[in-house]
Amino acid sequence: MAKPIQNSKFKIQNSPIAHEDSGSILSPLKSLQFFARRPVTVPLEPRPAAANYRGFHLNDHEKCIGCSSCQKVCDNAAITMVKVPHLPEDPVNGVRNLRPAIDYGRCCWCALCVDICPTSAISLSREYVHTCTQEEIDSYFILPDEKGIHGKYYGLGWQKSADSDLLDLERQQMEELGPDARIDNFDEIVHGYSEQQAVIEASRCVQCGMCNDACPTHMDAPEYIRAIWQGKPEEAVRWIYKTNPFSHVCGRVCTHRCEDACSIGRRGEPVAIRWLKRYAMDAVDHDRIKQIAAEEKADYLSGKRIAIIGAGPAGLTAAYDLVRKGHQVTVFEAREAAGGMPRYGIPSYRLPYDMLDRDIDVIASLGVKIQTNTRIGVDISMQQLRTDYDAVVLAIGLHLGRSTRIPGSDHKQVVKAVDLLRMITNDEKFKLPKKAVVIGGGNVAMDIARSLARLQKRSQDQVGVTVTALEDKAHFLADPVEVKECLEEGIEIFDARGPQGCIVERGRLKGLKTWKVRSIFDEQGRFAPAYDENDEQIHEGDMVIEAIGQMSDVSLLGESLSEELEWNRGRLKVDENGHTSVDWLWAAGDCVNGPDVVHAVADGHRVAASIEAWLGKKA
Amino acid sequence: MKEGQSSGREKLQSKKSLSEILEVAIEFERTARDFYNDLIPKVSKQIRYLVEELAEEEQRHFDLFNELKSRPDIEQHIQAMVDTPASDKRFSDCIHLPDLGDKPDDQAVLQYALGREHAAMEQYHALAESTEPGPIKDLFLYLANEETLHKNQLERLYYETIHSGGV
Repeated sequence: MAKPIQNSKFKIQNSPIAHEDSGSILSPLKSLQFFARRPVTVPLEPRPAAANYRGFHLNDHEKCIGCSSCQKVCDNAAITMVKVPHLPEDPVNGVRNLRPAIDYGRCCWCALCVDICPTSAISLSREYVHTCTQEEIDSYFILPDEKGIHGKYYGLGWQKSADSDLLDLERQQMEELGPDARIDNFDEIVHGYSEQQAVIEASRCVQCGMCNDACPTHMDAPEYIRAIWQGKPEEAVRWIYKTNPFSHVCGRVCTHRCEDACSIGRRGEPVAIRWLKRYAMDAVDHDRIKQIAAEEKADYLSGKRIAIIGAGPAGLTAAYDLVRKGHQVTVFEAREAAGGMPRYGIPSYRLPYDMLDRDIDVIASLGVKIQTNTRIGVDISMQQLRTDYDAVVLAIGLHLGRSTRIPGSDHKQVVKAVDLLRMITNDEKFKLPKKAVVIGGGNVAMDIARSLARLQKRSQDQVGVTVTALEDKAHFLADPVEVKECLEEGIEIFDARGPQGCIVERGRLKGLKTWKVRSIFDEQGRFAPAYDENDEQIHEGDMVIEAIGQMSDVSLLGESLSEELEWNRGRLKVDENGHTSVDWLWAAGDCVNGPDVVHAVADGHRVAASIEAWLGKKA
Repeated sequence: MKEGQSSGREKLQSKKSLSEILEVAIEFERTARDFYNDLIPKVSKQIRYLVEELAEEEQRHFDLFNELKSRPDIEQHIQAMVDTPASDKRFSDCIHLPDLGDKPDDQAVLQYALGREHAAMEQYHALAESTEPGPIKDLFLYLANEETLHKNQLERLYYETIHSGGV
């Protein structure tokens, strides 16, 4: 028991109370005056609370994306995410149909849920009274909306402010080569984060997992970001390798759907998830990464043999999974080096090939045999593969370029972007144009434009590249960063221009004729451009490069197998696991789903799992 | 395939009745349908769907025009249809008629089909412009509208097929 404080102030307080001294024998009679009065009951209705009062929760269901950051931050476990079926669910765009329900038996009104909410959907009201009978005790578990828990709005109490916001809305700036430093070389533009930058950037993550939902291969980004924040890059790599053996590549050129879905991006800049992955991969010694990748690899041989055609991300990811299951995997690659579209379609200033080689080396180190310079359909027939292997995976990418076939496009100086990019990768000689005109508005168009600009600057000391795109700037298919950097490098971009013909005079290519594109989508929102032939331009050039589309070279299948297989509008028909209509053949990657590295990785996992299940049934 | 050329236009202009005009139009559709049907076994299975769809579309037109020809209320029906003409869009890289060769690819087939639809559409439009107002003009407008609709569908397919993958 505390000892009473001895000072003059407390002496007064500790003296006998007044009524003991001055009480009267008549005092009980005085209370008789109350008999005639009406009893007064004070209603249990909220009275106005302070403007910043932390009353019951409000949640704007329109703003709320169901990210569950509120649930994760709540130390009292007072928040449960509840599925609300009628609300939209769109994982690719970072929307879940979950909403927080509050257990007021646990809530301590600390308002951390408000302070962390990435969308500012949650706030606290000025309402604070709720009573019920024992039978209604469940009414303390409430799914708040924007009206308040009793359907009556009492005004906003505690809400997010600049001072209380727990989020850091700005990402760590990435050091990059400026236009002058990069225009005459193929050095990697992006420097990568330092350890300090990576830890600070990782600390911005609220661990909501929207990135995981949106990623085609469902990378454990919250986990590897947390490991980076804890200063454990090896642990981060371990998480990374659970879902993606192409992380040096994806850490640089992934389409980063994770960042598009990042809840921090609702009000600020999304967490730089791609750069964090790159940091972790670059921070760990290559040999250590090989050891981590080999963890949990089967220590037996299954006796099954798998052939994979194409050593790109889809094929090699499937190989990685299958070899870890104990199967004997051989990857056949037609070109002189493995890597697929990332090697032969992405310039080295975006993806240094030694980084691609590291990813491939990890996979090869597990026992995957990669046989380059072996073209299936020429050196080995599909029939032979069928005979020699238990299962075959087709992962052949999109190595053939499409042509507009406009008049003059058969001129020898009209070339396809994929062919030219491949020549540049292989360091093959070709006649460098003084002025090049690129047809296309996607990343391939930007890649070839920027590659040519570098070569021109290096050998001619000037850049002469024009890009003409069907799309207007608002609908460019290329990454906005690519467009921005193109312009920085002195490349001209003409948007909303439709190619009409290559100008050839006396056998010499002079340029490209275009018409203005009036509209690009039809009433149903489908791609269907219409031209204004009165708005014509001639873009001068001694080389025209077509970067309009790509397709697979399926000639390796041969006529007989092509007839045996089922097709779906020009592409191989596969089930949800990549299994074709022929039981021994699977297909994966760009040749099935279109171009996207991380999608190809996801596909590789899918077919590997399907093959594993199929082999199990067959055994 | 000569139906898209000026001889077809002269042939049609010389016709006097709705029935006669429809007969020529039906013949256009029949020859196109047969052309595509003959092409089906020649192309690879990968793109056979495309030629099959084109043959089906021409068959649909063939059936539609035959049905129109046999309907007693044809004049009112045609009048109603031309009140809502389809939009006309032009493409330079699809109006050329290439030599398809023995093993045409999807782009060649689509360009051929687009060229044919474009030529037919322009022909019917020109005929409508040079015809006095009345049921025959309306019939030409109706036919032009049908060809424009089909051409628009093919244009969308062309861009989805050719301008895709890697862009």
